[in-house]
Amino acid sequence: MITVSGSNFPWREGMTVADLLKEIDDSQPCAVVRINDTYVSQMNFENTVIPDDSEVFLIPMIAGG
Amino acid sequence: MPDFKLKEAKTLEYDRPAIEKGYTDQTLYVNISDSEITIKPVDAKTKETFIGGKGYDLWLLWNAVQPKTKWNDPENEICIAAGPLGGTPTYPGSGKSIVTTLSPTTATVIDSNVGGYFGPYIKFSGFDALEIQGKTAKDAVIFIDGIDQKIKIFETTGLPNNAYQLSAILTEHFAAGKPRSISVVSAGPGAKNTLIGCLNFTWYDVKRKRARYKQAGRGGIGTVFADKGIKALVVRWDTVTADTNNPADKAALKNVAKLHSREIVELDPKQNEMARIGTTHLVTIMNDHDLLPTHNFRYGQHREASNIGQQVYRRLFDPGFDGCWMGCTVACSHGVKDFVPLTGPYKGKKVFVDGPEYETVAGCGSNLGIFDPHTVVEINFYCDAYGLDTISVGTAIAFAMECFELGLITETHTGALSLNFGNRLSALELVHQMAKGEGFGQIVGQGVRKMKEIFAKDFGADPKIMRDIGMEAKGLEFSEYMTKESLAQQGGYGLALKGPQHDEAWLIFLDMVHNFMPTFEQKAEALHWFPMFRTWFGLCGLCKLPWNDIIPEDNKDTPEPAKVMKHVQWYADYFSAVTGRKATPDDLIEMSEKVYNFQRIFNLRMGFGRREQDAIPYRAVGPVTEDEYVSREERYDNQLAQIHKVDINGKSTAEKIAILRNFREQQYEKLKDAVYKRRGWTSDGIPSLDTVKRLGIDFEEVLDLLNAHGVSS
Ligand code: SF4
Repeated sequence: MITVSGSNFPWREGMTVADLLKEIDDSQPCAVVRINDTYVSQMNFENTVIPDDSEVFLIPMIAGG
Repeated sequence: MPDFKLKEAKTLEYDRPAIEKGYTDQTLYVNISDSEITIKPVDAKTKETFIGGKGYDLWLLWNAVQPKTKWNDPENEICIAAGPLGGTPTYPGSGKSIVTTLSPTTATVIDSNVGGYFGPYIKFSGFDALEIQGKTAKDAVIFIDGIDQKIKIFETTGLPNNAYQLSAILTEHFAAGKPRSISVVSAGPGAKNTLIGCLNFTWYDVKRKRARYKQAGRGGIGTVFADKGIKALVVRWDTVTADTNNPADKAALKNVAKLHSREIVELDPKQNEMARIGTTHLVTIMNDHDLLPTHNFRYGQHREASNIGQQVYRRLFDPGFDGCWMGCTVACSHGVKDFVPLTGPYKGKKVFVDGPEYETVAGCGSNLGIFDPHTVVEINFYCDAYGLDTISVGTAIAFAMECFELGLITETHTGALSLNFGNRLSALELVHQMAKGEGFGQIVGQGVRKMKEIFAKDFGADPKIMRDIGMEAKGLEFSEYMTKESLAQQGGYGLALKGPQHDEAWLIFLDMVHNFMPTFEQKAEALHWFPMFRTWFGLCGLCKLPWNDIIPEDNKDTPEPAKVMKHVQWYADYFSAVTGRKATPDDLIEMSEKVYNFQRIFNLRMGFGRREQDAIPYRAVGPVTEDEYVSREERYDNQLAQIHKVDINGKSTAEKIAILRNFREQQYEKLKDAVYKRRGWTSDGIPSLDTVKRLGIDFEEVLDLLNAHGVSS
């Protein structure tokens, strides 16, 4: 089991960030996620595997600066 | 503690007025040439037009200087104001001071929005703004004692120069046992000996029992301060509560403040964890998107970027509450405890370092090819202690390093310093030299624009290449984002009133990553709305971070997610609750439009503020050198072939660079046209008569000025 923005979500072996984003009901663009303490950008979504028990956060990158 | 003396030169006793709906309706004028202290009323028209904060500062400065006034003339002023919402301890980010002056590097108005307790304490002591004019040779300390209702000017001897020690001593001296009641503003030796000096504003950290610092960094405000002979400003104020600002509608304020504050507490841990790592999360994100400046903005990426990323600062930052104003739940002003510098006067001693923030990490790290967090923290520390702006220091050293690598300057010119990118000791040595006004550091401390002149005139360097790679516009060094692939952000920098600082518009992600504004008109709309809304924070004494660095969970489902309209509405409610002046989100934009256009006209008055001054170096627009082109060849080749329909077969890299440059420069000019039109300006970038009339800033002097520039209909 992982959490996504605080809510439980089922985990499976080999699940990537890209897989997760496809599965959650969210059509908005997401350029960055945080897995525990690590930020992952969109170009790495396909090749970043989410470990079990992770806390995943979708980062709304409209801020900064 | 050094043996210092404070000799009272002048004292004015005054009756502190009650704060009325966020205002005192008076300002404080101090002339340190002749120790004049005057209290001036604020009339209703000024209040209505300029709102407060930066608006008040600009109006005071406009009335103090002449078109020919130079930054180091006695009549130049330093103005500091809080704004009507400033000093509210319940609403996050409500403690900013806005500082303006004529800048030594841009020769026109510069403004800086800074944390610390000074602005709110000045207001609670009885003044919506403070203006300081004149010059003295006597190391003045100005003390505004809001509790005893006295303003004192001291002549001082024996006080230390560096801001770190000076603020600690003055805090203790004036605190009467309550250090939280004191805020100090000071510069430092680097501010005196360069043109890129900053001001350090303190807030007192009760838990760590020390004065902490925030910087009014940009455009050499600290240099003006030091040139005036001011050693420090000190303000003393009592306890602050939600009622101190005497809001018009306490219940409404309580309600909206609670909503915003609670949302931050709930969502920041799920988003960027600013309360834990500040803005350092941006380092690796910018790097991933080719936006982190490295090697003087040549490239946007480096394989070692994570060495100076948030995971490192997560470990280095001392955990605890780091709000630069009371009650700010974002609390992002972190610091490093027990840091031991390896060089300089604090070598081997334990110090507390305030920072670094993203800009410092990028400017004094990656942009110098330095990927060692210790060096970044050490440069950060010394820049603060010496009163130097970390952004200008970083961008200026980066330029010198590239000139060195290109052979435009050599060790003969640098005093035998090897200035290759990545040379940590040379970078630190330059900072120490800036503080002393010695060696090659003295030249770097003049900023990029002056360096270009000196390198060409005295060292025979090629001015053409320096024009392309010297990252300044309007005389101000660029802050730390790569703009080559974001036309909107090129505008965000190039069309900013004071020069290329991102605080007017930060559109990179919206433009480049999310493609929210594909057309010129959409970019122009963004380059109207965002600078206006961001200006509003400066009018009111607020920090912009709570607006869009923590976003409501349902924001993505709103019609205009980029604007975070739920928060904009909260800000309108906040303004209404404090001032009693009912405001809608559109009203906030109109308040800013008045001041924004007035500032553009102020630039015009000082000999700037036209289309030609909105130029940016080509390094900000596209690849200057063959290395840059080749490093992203596929991207550039594709753009030439697919967007611009150029047959690139058989073309050399130099030819492709020239063709791409032509296209990109044309686009930037088209963007200017679209933005000027949207802002109601002429094609030369001057506010039109209709615009100044619509905004109610059609004062006689303004009309005369426009007329003199051919704007009469
Ligand atoms: S968000 Fe950060 S910079 Fe802004 S007021 Fe709060 S602590 Fe200070």
